[in-house]
Amino acid sequence: MHIMEGFLPPLWCAVWFVIAIPVVAYGLYKIKKVVDETPESKALLAVSGAFMFVISSLKLPSVTGSCSHPTGNGLGAALFGPAATAVLATIVLIFQAILLAHGGITTLGANIVSMGIVGPLAGWIVYKLLFKAGIPSKINIFLIAFIADFATYLVTSVQLGLAFPTPTTMAAITKFFLIFAPTQLPLAIAEGLLTVIVWNGLMTYRPKLLNKLGAIADNEL
Amino acid sequence: MKFDIDYIAHNNRLTDANPYVKIIVSIALMVLTLVLDNIAFDIFIFILMAVLILGVARITLRNYVKFLAIPAAFAILTCIFLIFFFGTGKLIFDTGLWGIGITESSLNLGITTFCRCFACFACLGFLTLTTPIADILQCLHKIKVPVTFIDIALLMYNTIFIFLDQMFTMQNAQDTRLGYVGTKSTYKSIGMLFSNLFFRSLDKSETLQCSLDSRCYQGYLPVYKPNREDK
Repeated sequence: MHIMEGFLPPLWCAVWFVIAIPVVAYGLYKIKKVVDETPESKALLAVSGAFMFVISSLKLPSVTGSCSHPTGNGLGAALFGPAATAVLATIVLIFQAILLAHGGITTLGANIVSMGIVGPLAGWIVYKLLFKAGIPSKINIFLIAFIADFATYLVTSVQLGLAFPTPTTMAAITKFFLIFAPTQLPLAIAEGLLTVIVWNGLMTYRPKLLNKLGAIADNEL
Repeated sequence: MKFDIDYIAHNNRLTDANPYVKIIVSIALMVLTLVLDNIAFDIFIFILMAVLILGVARITLRNYVKFLAIPAAFAILTCIFLIFFFGTGKLIFDTGLWGIGITESSLNLGITTFCRCFACFACLGFLTLTTPIADILQCLHKIKVPVTFIDIALLMYNTIFIFLDQMFTMQNAQDTRLGYVGTKSTYKSIGMLFSNLFFRSLDKSETLQCSLDSRCYQGYLPVYKPNREDK
């Protein structure tokens, strides 16, 4: 759900940058604290960022026939928490704009807010709640991926609706939302299923690591 | 190859030009295009950028068209959508279905948005096709973006290419064993690919850390910065 370069009017570009920058700065502050304590986590973060970038360049077949790519931000949020994911997603978005001409520089702020901040945060909150309730992580990981995708798509609709308020802002948001729904909903479900398969792999081969990252409970080991 | 843009950025006549100038010019023009929002100016910027990219940087027309093709498809689709659904006032063309049609205001909106997108994309193209990422990161460092951010980005940039290589190898192996034959097997294969890639990436991060430690890594990577302003 990248918004194209030049699609948003300047006012909204600026607004989304203003919202995005403090959150990313906070994420950086968090990362810096972790890195100062355990220096080896920087390599882990960099490598997981690269992982996010690589999987987002893979095509995924979806029901409507359109091809789109998984975002991987749900998985990132489950493993590293929303603050670190915001920073990683920012770097991934810059690389996507520069290496793949996907997204853009003026719309970077808006894309960070939808894909790097709100999506992962929504997924992470749900994950933590269900984690406390003792729901098995397999079901949980499906929900986090689905909700992260869905929230991203909701926020993008709102951003576009605010930028093109014809006839009214609310009507425009609904219009964008309805038009994206046939492609984005199957896609969110597809990403959810895919994340479950990845998660099964992780659970089978490296359960201890997931436990150490705080992503699964002790009784699932 | 997937990353043609990266290869082109390292191999054109403007690669060694001062990166600050390139970044400032492209971003300033991009913002100016957005603020002015004027079709004539958009077309002017598009032509100017085409001259800079094709004439000065000597990037082949084929590569430039390839760069523009994907955003162009997106822009056309979105603007058709804008033209049909975002009008108010009198219809000038009626499809006869649920009152959907083209109005003067929506036609205007669609065309201006399309031109603006294209002009901005041309500016982005100038930046990305002529400037290697290492240069851009170095400039970010100059404007006081935190070192942690730049270090992670640099390490990430290095790792991406190793991963892509591994991913293509694995994908090929799966493909030759009919791993992508139907939808169900495709999902299974992609899932396996991702989880395997993640383990690989963990191993890789350990090796990376060892190699950094053995070179006295203290939380900051000093990189050789060629003095390009002299040229």
